[in-house]
Amino acid sequence: MTNLLKTPAAWPRPLLGHTGEGDPTDLDRAVKAGAFKGLKRAVGDLSPAGVVAEIRAACLLGRGGAGYSAADKWQVAAATPADRRYVVANGYGADPAVRTDAVLLELDPYAVIEGLAIAAWAIGAEHGIIAVRATETQAIRGLEAALAAAEEAGFVGDELVDSGRPLAIEIRPVQGAYMLGEETVLLKALEGKRGQPEQRPPHPAERGLFGRPTVVHNVQTLALAAWILREGAAAFRAIGSPDAPGTILVHVRGAGGSGVAEVPLGTTLRAILALAGTITRSGPAPKAILVGGPSGGILPAELLDTPYAFDELRAAGAHVGSGSVVATAAEADVLELAELLTRFCAGEACGKTIPCRIGTRRIEEIASRINAGTPRPTDAVLLADLSADIVASALCDHERLATLPMTSVMRYFQADLDAKLQPAAQQAAGQPEVAVAHGDTAQ
Amino acid sequence: MSFIPGLGIVRGMSLTLRRFFQPKVTNLYPEVPAEISPKFRGRLQLLYDEHGALKCETCFQCAQACPIECIDMGGVDTKGRYAVHWGASETYGERREESALRRAGRTVPDEAYQHWSPIDTGPVDAILHDADHDPKRMLEILEATQAAYGYLPVAALKRISFGTGAWYAMVYGTATYYDHLRFQPLAAAGAATGRERSSADYLSGLDRLSR
Ligand SMILES: Cc1cc2nc3c(=O)[nH]c(=O)nc-3n(C[C@H](O)[C@H](O)[C@H](O)COP(=O)(O)O)c2cc1C
Ligand code: SF4
Ligand code: FES
Repeated sequence: MTNLLKTPAAWPRPLLGHTGEGDPTDLDRAVKAGAFKGLKRAVGDLSPAGVVAEIRAACLLGRGGAGYSAADKWQVAAATPADRRYVVANGYGADPAVRTDAVLLELDPYAVIEGLAIAAWAIGAEHGIIAVRATETQAIRGLEAALAAAEEAGFVGDELVDSGRPLAIEIRPVQGAYMLGEETVLLKALEGKRGQPEQRPPHPAERGLFGRPTVVHNVQTLALAAWILREGAAAFRAIGSPDAPGTILVHVRGAGGSGVAEVPLGTTLRAILALAGTITRSGPAPKAILVGGPSGGILPAELLDTPYAFDELRAAGAHVGSGSVVATAAEADVLELAELLTRFCAGEACGKTIPCRIGTRRIEEIASRINAGTPRPTDAVLLADLSADIVASALCDHERLATLPMTSVMRYFQADLDAKLQPAAQQAAGQPEVAVAHGDTAQ
Repeated sequence: MSFIPGLGIVRGMSLTLRRFFQPKVTNLYPEVPAEISPKFRGRLQLLYDEHGALKCETCFQCAQACPIECIDMGGVDTKGRYAVHWGASETYGERREESALRRAGRTVPDEAYQHWSPIDTGPVDAILHDADHDPKRMLEILEATQAAYGYLPVAALKRISFGTGAWYAMVYGTATYYDHLRFQPLAAAGAATGRERSSADYLSGLDRLSR
């Protein structure tokens, strides 16, 4: 069971706020706490276009990592002519070190079902799928019980509240690859195919599952949509940072402990790490902070005051990604960390394209040569060039982001890199210094 | 035959002259690109990397893309999973098995290879029936088949291909992608799969570096 971290009482918690005592699959209890109020308002008081307007007013950004506007996706899906539309809740949780989505599904399955139903109403979908990692058996069992109760009570199923429209929701356990978290790969898996990304555009909102308009959202995004419809867009915008309102779940890990916490977007990394007791006033500062999961950026302790929000992290050379925030030990070796991450990313690359199949592998080889103390004189330049080429030619975000661990080390930990690029043997032989490229690949 | 002096030269020159006025066939390649039949798709060749290992990782992408199913292969994929398989053996005859092994860089005969053995198709037929023989439900069919047999026997995959109308390359190419699907009984497949190991390495690495 994952540890839930306590956050200061002043922090609003739209996602996990009313979860606590009692059975999360108990419908009466959930309805008392406000479940399906948002859906009733959406169907009863607002037109589908009105729902999209409300989501746009709330400035809801996707919690799956990229922070794309939810309203934009809904609008495209609703406007694309089709005989069938789908809403897919992405609860896969690709990063093995992160359990945020599973925790949400375990603690509040109704919020995800309600959010999915609201999105379905807004875009005119009659089919919804909740994809969950097959190993999260407790989350799956809870969802199944919740879905059965919600169907029984007439919220979803044969009729979406009193809308006169059906909404068939299916729970699909998926497993078997890291890449399944990526939306086009997830759709492939749901179609029963080999999981490899698709070229975009067309985006899934236009041509997704079985070629039909499909809105794919992280489960947190959907749960927040339900909250927005219940409490109003203005209340949502009052939380978090102005251009990225609301909260997000993070999985914090460090020497002090680890666990899942709900934090307002714009909270500093320092405040997030403090939740797990990882950063204390007196203790040593971590050598680095890994933000974003296996393809995350490795940031120095000087950037501890960076706000945790989509644009700010991107500017710093990291990303929200899987919601993982890891503080390394004070004496940790950042290059060892970068090699570890790069190896994982290369191993999980799907093999479809050359930057994916070969590019990530070459980056991994450079990382391991540097760490083994046997770098080639050209490695630093090669790393910078290759990373830039991968970023420019990638088919999907995986290989693009897989360059981040190494490029962020180049950007922030020059001294550590230089030390390893000058192996003792070369210095002893009196060889000329290796030029180090200050690669600053745009992310 | 009478000897006429200079006749040889005249004969030679007449040939030269005739050729001189015939259209030229020399292409000034690469300045002038050669005209290639639109049907030409290049010569298929499997390449070796700098370590002398075949670069093909048996991903079946090419076999999936080949419209007439003439590309096929067998071998060990990069995740260390062993599988030999081929198109309709009745069409290609026995020699194919050997050539599949050779192309996969395996010795012939290969110790690890066994000809796929017949199975009781009852369970897989029932699964196909339940899934409505629908290739869109391939993953579900494969998972149920593995649950029934403990792994995915080649004979079952062939049955699925036959029953759903999906080509064998599609069935096999899908099955190899997913880490939880296996082609050997659990005991023979060994402990952890490649992906399980890489996840475990990643997790233990994070733990080590953050403690
Ligand atoms: C390699 C990779 C893995 C991903 N894994 C996940 C995941 O586990 N869960 C998730 O919600 N999104 C994941 N995403 C992002 C999805 O592609 C997609 O952007 C997201 O599900 C959309 O939901 P949102 O609009 O709520 O952000 C991943 C992306 C990549 C490139
Ligand atoms: S199976 Fe995959 S790796 Fe092998 S030749 Fe075909 S496409 Fe290339
Ligand atoms: S991981 Fe293969 S194309 Fe992105």
